[in-house]
Amino acid sequence: MSGQSDEFSGRLGLIFATIGAAIGTGNIWRFPRMVGANGGGTFLIPWLLFLFIWSIPLVIAEFAMGKRSRTGTIGTFRIFTGKRFAWMGLWTAWISTAIGFYYAVVAGWCLKYFQLGLSGGLTENGVDTVQVWNEFLQAPGQVIFYQFLVVLLTLLAISRGAKAIEKVNVVLMTSLMVLLVLTMFMALSMDFRDGTLDGALFMFTVDWSNLFNAEIWINALSQSAWSASAGMGMAITYAVYMRKDEDTTLNAFVMGLANNSVSIIAGLTVLSAIFAVEADPLATVTGGSSAITFLALPEVFAQAPGGALGPFFMMAGFFLALSFAALTSMISTVELCVRNFVDHGYERSQSVWLTGVAIFLFGLPSALLWIKLDGEGVAYPEFLEVQDHIWGYGLMFSGLFIAYTIWRYGFLKWKAQVEAGEAEPGLAGYLNVGVSGFRDDFINTGDNDLWIGRWWDLLLYLAFPVLFSVLMISYFGSMIANTEDVWNPLNPHGLGIILAFWGVVAALFLWFNRYLVMRPVYRNVPEGAQVDISMLPGGNDPLVLQLGDDLPDLVNVNQG
Amino acid sequence: MAAPVANAGVQQDEVGQAPGDIWANDYVNYEFPWGGDDRVQFKAYHDYESMRERMLRLAEDNPEFLEFHEGLNGGVNARGETTTEETYKGWFYQHPSPWMKITMDVEGGEYNAFVGDSGNYADRPDILIVGNHHAREWMSYEVPMFFLETLVFSMNNPDYDNDGDGRIDEDPWGDGDGDGILDDDGDCLSLAPEHQDSDGDGIPCGPGDLGVDEDYSENWIVSLVESREIYLVPMLNVDGNRYDREEYCGETAWENCATSGWRKNLRDNDYSGSGPFPDLDEQVDEGCDGVDLNRNYEYEWGAPLGATGPLIPGDCIAGTTNNDVYNGPPDLPIDDEDGDGLFNEDDVDGNDDDRDGIVDEDPLGGNTEPETKFIQDLTEMNDDNKNGGSEFRATLTWHSFSELVLYPWGHCQNCDNPDQAQLRYHGDVLASYTNYENMQSSSLYPTTGDFCDWHYGVFESYCYTMEIGNAFHERPENVDDIAVRNVGVGFYMTWIADNPREKANLAIANISFTQFVTPPEDVVVPASGDLPIDVCISTAFPYTLNQNLSFVEWRLVRPSRIQSDFGPREWQAEPWTETGFGVVKEASCTLLDGANGTVLRAMLPVPDDLSGQVHYRVVLGTLSGSELFTYPGNEAYHVLSIAYRASYGGTFGALVMFLFIAGTVWGGLGIALRTMLSDDEAKVNLADALLEEEVDA
Repeated sequence: MSGQSDEFSGRLGLIFATIGAAIGTGNIWRFPRMVGANGGGTFLIPWLLFLFIWSIPLVIAEFAMGKRSRTGTIGTFRIFTGKRFAWMGLWTAWISTAIGFYYAVVAGWCLKYFQLGLSGGLTENGVDTVQVWNEFLQAPGQVIFYQFLVVLLTLLAISRGAKAIEKVNVVLMTSLMVLLVLTMFMALSMDFRDGTLDGALFMFTVDWSNLFNAEIWINALSQSAWSASAGMGMAITYAVYMRKDEDTTLNAFVMGLANNSVSIIAGLTVLSAIFAVEADPLATVTGGSSAITFLALPEVFAQAPGGALGPFFMMAGFFLALSFAALTSMISTVELCVRNFVDHGYERSQSVWLTGVAIFLFGLPSALLWIKLDGEGVAYPEFLEVQDHIWGYGLMFSGLFIAYTIWRYGFLKWKAQVEAGEAEPGLAGYLNVGVSGFRDDFINTGDNDLWIGRWWDLLLYLAFPVLFSVLMISYFGSMIANTEDVWNPLNPHGLGIILAFWGVVAALFLWFNRYLVMRPVYRNVPEGAQVDISMLPGGNDPLVLQLGDDLPDLVNVNQG
Repeated sequence: MAAPVANAGVQQDEVGQAPGDIWANDYVNYEFPWGGDDRVQFKAYHDYESMRERMLRLAEDNPEFLEFHEGLNGGVNARGETTTEETYKGWFYQHPSPWMKITMDVEGGEYNAFVGDSGNYADRPDILIVGNHHAREWMSYEVPMFFLETLVFSMNNPDYDNDGDGRIDEDPWGDGDGDGILDDDGDCLSLAPEHQDSDGDGIPCGPGDLGVDEDYSENWIVSLVESREIYLVPMLNVDGNRYDREEYCGETAWENCATSGWRKNLRDNDYSGSGPFPDLDEQVDEGCDGVDLNRNYEYEWGAPLGATGPLIPGDCIAGTTNNDVYNGPPDLPIDDEDGDGLFNEDDVDGNDDDRDGIVDEDPLGGNTEPETKFIQDLTEMNDDNKNGGSEFRATLTWHSFSELVLYPWGHCQNCDNPDQAQLRYHGDVLASYTNYENMQSSSLYPTTGDFCDWHYGVFESYCYTMEIGNAFHERPENVDDIAVRNVGVGFYMTWIADNPREKANLAIANISFTQFVTPPEDVVVPASGDLPIDVCISTAFPYTLNQNLSFVEWRLVRPSRIQSDFGPREWQAEPWTETGFGVVKEASCTLLDGANGTVLRAMLPVPDDLSGQVHYRVVLGTLSGSELFTYPGNEAYHVLSIAYRASYGGTFGALVMFLFIAGTVWGGLGIALRTMLSDDEAKVNLADALLEEEVDA
């Protein structure tokens, strides 16, 4: 291990890397579907609102934590929340990695469809997209090949660290934007052939009577929480590579806004294309995400104008963009895991290959098992779906842990100051010192052009717990209400299976926590950076070191 | 008739045939095969005497199944009153009502001393057919007489070819083959259009026209006579009928009394009512005398609806009230019929009004006239199986006019009875026989104390009131075709007399299989607004529009708003709701058996912005709610996919929203990027940044 810190070369590199992490399939195939299913423009209002009251504030917190801790998720929780809470970082890393297992398979589908687009295999006359899809999914060799390709590409991109990551992201994100904008214009022109932009019209028309439909708000919140990667540890991880005086708050805004910008473009592209061609476009866009993407869109793109070239470009362009989005998200997923290994003293290349092999192997069941046909004769991977069912909502707890860290820090700071006679006891003191503690010490540090005000405290202390509860209660409530045999842990669509997996993983991690904190953590600190952690619970942890530090002697460790 | 008549029905001759090409001349000219004078041929009206003579003659000629009677012998009746022959004679002319007992081996069976008839068999269901309650309704005794002639001729000529076309029994009454067309053999329909409406009622090939229901099975009639006891009373109100013909309107009443005439019997309200003033001249007082016999039966007698009379009976002032429906004097002087010290405390209404454990034992009045006493005692004393009830499980009474079939109740409006569906079903059949309109009696107007309410209310006898024709006194040249049009009714009623409820239930159940709800592929989804779901129902099906019994049960099913990203499409079903039906008058439909049906339509409030499915099934209740039929059947339902029908939005609103969203997101991104990159060392554009990276690498 070299003693030199690993960092992004510049501000743009950081921006592209974080945007690449945020932008994924959630923007391109999930967002258009959510808009379609939730009343078009009506959905955009809460969706935009939640960007500012949920996603960006959380990303701000993540950046602030990562930039100070200079470690991955495990180290960050160990430093910020305390030794006893390192498992929270493990959870965050695990959830992300577990999603990565099957995400590689899904990214492989995108690559396959890019290949199909290139070969023109989907735009010929009389192609049955369902047949193509079923044959692909039911051919294990094909699926695994593309899954393998994705893992390989990801490893190549990250094996060389932050600088390679940023370069790949710059290229891929720039290409993605260009491709997406081009396909958007083609889709708009398709939709305009009848003189109206139905797709755009629907996407931006608010049904005011439906504006306060609770379901729409909950869906907007979940879309905002998922697609911007807020609270998932991505921002913590990439903040590790920040140069010393990077602006974390602006970065958070850029990440969130860029994410939503791409969503709008993708929404316009997909909706316009579908509204241009389908007899009942709403029926199409309200189906499952993969059905829209792999069944409907090829059919729609095949009818693009411009002879053979139009369909070719739309197919290849769209699926290439989708593949890029998936790849960059894959990169951040793997990096999140790798970073934790590196923090704990493993060689980077070793960590990368270990993670890569694990992601490939543990992704194999999702690629192979339980490929079933639904009621309409369309194949779907049930094992993969169950994985998504189990781990998807685990992300919410990663976010909760981050919020908990902030609450805990503020409370401890206020308590310490009260004991030292520097702060008033009672609620007034707590509000003055405690609630704003994290913001004062880690966000408004002077590196940021944008000063973050009291509103951020309000969002983290009030809005976050309310929204978190609403989301969890509505999700699990409707699952309990609508699922038969919901508590049976053998029911792949029930709540029992989720709680069982969560319980086992959380128990395991809690037990493992004591062994975890026996290992030293090496912080990736750039030269001259202000990374004082003495005021933090992990500040006196003798095993929290900087790269290049020597291990303290073990007596001290045991005392610590 | 040398023509190959067997092909008559299938000839597709543009011009069509003349009646003479198909049928025998006798038939074409409405010459009935039993011969006789104009009256017997129904070219002129019978009067009381000629009718009675004809009945006597027929009874004399056919002693094995006909027995002529007049009135009853009397004795101690079912309620303990002592009566004599005199009890049943009209007030004025002193005639008892003539009637015919019809059953095979009428001289055998048991003898009933009170009624005076033999031929009572406990295993033969009885039916009572009564004409001419109302004196001026002359067709109401001609039709029973035509029934009698037809019956007698059929008994003596089984396998008769009624229309002389060389085939027998090819066109029974009603829609024999269930194709929705009365003319089962199609011979009327093969006529040239100008010949298709031979009775001139404006309906081509309707009941009464040549070739329609003309060749019924004589053997079926024989079997009915062998298995039923028919009590046929063609002219109940002899007093009133004679007065109408001889005094009030005259022999040619159709000229001056087409829609007027004498209605009631001839009770002398000035004298024999309970009033104090004697009727000095002993003549009928046109302004005051008489009781409406069809308001004088005991059931719900005198209830305020539909009956009027002198305020103080006997104290009649002509023209002050609608005397025409006077229901007879109340039970005065005060009569304690059950001897409990209370007077008229338990009216005949099926309820134990005084809660003494005995029902309807001390009525307010009714049953005061010789004619109604005759019907009542005939009904109560003709108790072959000695169970205290009525043998008449089916009863039929003929009236004029309006071309209607009426079933109970008459005494209350919008009140279903327990057999509503079954009663309406048989009524619909009778309506199809005659092309009359079937309805609950009180839907026409409320009546109290009528024949059918009493028979149904007290004895649960399925009872129909047929309103014949379009005048009280029809023109004599129409007597024959009107009689032809109505004759099947009596035989149908005779047929169902064994168990009318069961026959209706079976038929309704069978009909239910021909009905259907529009399947999804045939539902016409409107461009916007409510979704019409139709059921095609048989005209004979006694449906109800009561929303609690007949409705479309439906639900919206949408794609779940939270879909799994990778799994199959998930649906979210809303709870089932119910929407009632209305009749679509202008539409018709074809039932599964090919007959024409009625369209019931429910308008489901399906929102325009639904993109998903409508699940629907239909529950169709019969009138009384006793039977519920579901379509498509059991718990199954149809699934209809509905495309989004609402507008996608307006250009202006969408543009404003686009500017707001895109402005916030893209604009915000631009500002954030510019702020970041405007810092000292990062003041570079994208191209520079990329170049710089290359250099670094």
